[in-house]
Amino acid sequence: VTPSEGARGGTGRQLEMESVLALRGLVLLRDSVEWEGRSLLKALIKKAALGGEQVHILGCEVSEEEFRAGFDSSINSRLVYYDFFRDPLNWAQTGEALPGGPLGALQAMCERTDPGPVTVALDSLSWLLLRLPCAALCQALCAMSRQHACRGGGPAAEQLCVLGLLHRELHGPGPMGALSSLAQTEVTLSGTAGQASAHILCRRPRQRPTLETLWFSVLPDLSLDLQGGPPLESQPHPDPHTPQVDPASHLTFNLHLSKREREAKDSLTLPFQFSSEKQQALLRPGPGPATSRIFYEPDVFDDLDPEDPDGDLDV
Amino acid sequence: MAAVATCGTGAGSTGSMVAAGSKNNVTSFQRRGPRASGSDSSYSRLVSIAGTRPSVRNGQLLVSTGLPALDQLLGGGLAVGTVLLIEEDKYNIYSSLLFKYFLAEGIINGHTLLVASAKEDPADILQELPAPLLDDNVKKDFDEDACNHKTAESNIKMKIAWRYQLLPKMEQAGPVSSSRFGHYYDASKKMPQELIEASKWHGFFFPEKSSSTLNIEPCSLTHGYIKLLQFIQNTIYEEGFDGSNPQKKQKNILRIGIQNLGSPLWGDDICCTENGNSHSLTKFLYVLRGLLRTSLSACMITMPTHLIQNKAIISRVTNLSDTVVGLESFIGSERETNPLYKDYHGLIHIRQIPRLNNLIYDVSDVKDLAFKLKRKLFTIEWVQDNYLRQERNIYPPGFSYLLKQKDSAWGEGSLQHSTFLMSFLAKATAFASRLVRHSEPLEQTGSGRALQAAGPRLWRDGRRQEAPGLLVTPP
Repeated sequence: VTPSEGARGGTGRQLEMESVLALRGLVLLRDSVEWEGRSLLKALIKKAALGGEQVHILGCEVSEEEFRAGFDSSINSRLVYYDFFRDPLNWAQTGEALPGGPLGALQAMCERTDPGPVTVALDSLSWLLLRLPCAALCQALCAMSRQHACRGGGPAAEQLCVLGLLHRELHGPGPMGALSSLAQTEVTLSGTAGQASAHILCRRPRQRPTLETLWFSVLPDLSLDLQGGPPLESQPHPDPHTPQVDPASHLTFNLHLSKREREAKDSLTLPFQFSSEKQQALLRPGPGPATSRIFYEPDVFDDLDPEDPDGDLDV
Repeated sequence: MAAVATCGTGAGSTGSMVAAGSKNNVTSFQRRGPRASGSDSSYSRLVSIAGTRPSVRNGQLLVSTGLPALDQLLGGGLAVGTVLLIEEDKYNIYSSLLFKYFLAEGIINGHTLLVASAKEDPADILQELPAPLLDDNVKKDFDEDACNHKTAESNIKMKIAWRYQLLPKMEQAGPVSSSRFGHYYDASKKMPQELIEASKWHGFFFPEKSSSTLNIEPCSLTHGYIKLLQFIQNTIYEEGFDGSNPQKKQKNILRIGIQNLGSPLWGDDICCTENGNSHSLTKFLYVLRGLLRTSLSACMITMPTHLIQNKAIISRVTNLSDTVVGLESFIGSERETNPLYKDYHGLIHIRQIPRLNNLIYDVSDVKDLAFKLKRKLFTIEWVQDNYLRQERNIYPPGFSYLLKQKDSAWGEGSLQHSTFLMSFLAKATAFASRLVRHSEPLEQTGSGRALQAAGPRLWRDGRRQEAPGLLVTPP
């Protein structure tokens, strides 16, 4: 029984997914109204929890019950949830809330984690960006990875993963650009005709950024299912190939020679080059200057002075 | 003799000099030149500091930026007491490389470094510096690079006889020694640890120095900038770069490198909002320039100007800096597919060059500069070099044969070639290969009495059109 093409292709894609989704550092999940990203966020959380990492969640946009729906109980018991939805400004004064608001919670997360791989999910980063000054938020995000590196062994780049859900339409280019410059990976969600796609831009330090596209769907049990490419019904090119720009196309003179012109140019004898034909022509006693002569008959009005034939002496 | 030994200290010693001269029976005039090394610390003339040289144009003291090609474009180097602002490329790959070249040059020359960053620890930055290319290796590398280049060229029939060969080359290959002004670096290797440890450096890592988040009033400096300015001022004062402590030891240059200035990590929201605290960055640059002008220091700042939302601030920042160089990389942009740019990694724009003690600029003529990061070297070239290396018939067909030949009256380098064809072909080539900007003021070279007017127009009927240069995307 030969293994089917589909199975082999599946494992290939699995490996590809592992390499692409080995997300570390600050990861921005940029979603939009048409293509929501919370399901992808939950799928990545589930993957991290199954991988044995500690998972901390800062929940601001949806309630805790709604967020935990979909995870099975084993995973739910492993998630550490900080709830900022029910009482974000701590008006109930229950004493459970962490001091310092969401930023304080981020700092507390770093202090409470043990050294080892940690995934922090921010649901959502847009909520934080709308309520906190952008500069303070950027500083807090950078401080998280640094503090984690200080506490545990190993460079922070491999240990801490901060998944931030960002809604593209809510923010202007300024905050988005600022966060993009800090992020190690940006996942932009879009799609065509019912199939979601993720454009993953990885910025590794001192290397060229890489852009990859994954087509995926999130199954009801929050596992990721990767497809090979766009669905067959609609086949627009995922990356429209830009035509080669010809810089010499809009000039007012001709830069290209046709074949005939090129042959004529190459066969042209240069006038000042001393070729063998010229040598023969010079050596041969030719007809001399008799080839060109000017004949002139002076008419009656010409007054030729033999001593001054040009007539320019001022006499 | 005692009289001879103290002859450099002041005007009162002329008598002793004359006496010394008469004793030597050579002449009563003696040259007050540099003596033996014992007594040169008290000279009032310009003491040569390691790693600096005076500019050939106005005698301004220059330091190398770490990239000899960039030095050449900036008119010899970076002037001591000025700020070099690098506008970062989008992914901050090449600007951080230039930053590291600047610091590495300081270590090689023995300058003191001050590294300020809000993102990376300065100690980590110093570990990542590129290694210098030494004498015996670099000649071999240059030769093999040149050989690769030549074999590629010999396959293409070169029929260009235009004077591009006579234009100054961007990069001069040559052996490197430690006494040379600019050095070459190998970006793939790290600087040896002993050189880093032997150097003197001060680091400013903002997250460690910031104590608390203060309430910031509008129109004042943000907390991070205040701290950084205080740190720079203290370093300059304590180390004596501004001449405050009487100089007992050899004078040295302080190289200040500030990374990612203006990014949100410094606490500045200039990249995030349009109407934020827009005066903080400009105030910082103003105060920094004051600190630099009164000390023996040179500063390189990298700034992510592509993130700044308010474009007016970019022009203010440009005016407040002395030299401004912009980097634009081709990664992810549509220029990647342009065949003009296929060998390059990005464009370099020299946006501003300072007029220091001068009335005229020192701007280089070449405008379309591109850079590429080869295996080991960072080279800057004129874009047209690449374009014209291919076989293109850019001359009108009637004249090409005149220029092809070498040993004739009309060939390269002859007088007829220069005078007659230059006037015709200058117009055609300028049309083809330069960005024609009608609003750009002309370089005023000369005595200054007569304003240099614009050159001859290319269209007879007087209509001024935007000439379609090769680097402008066609409509």
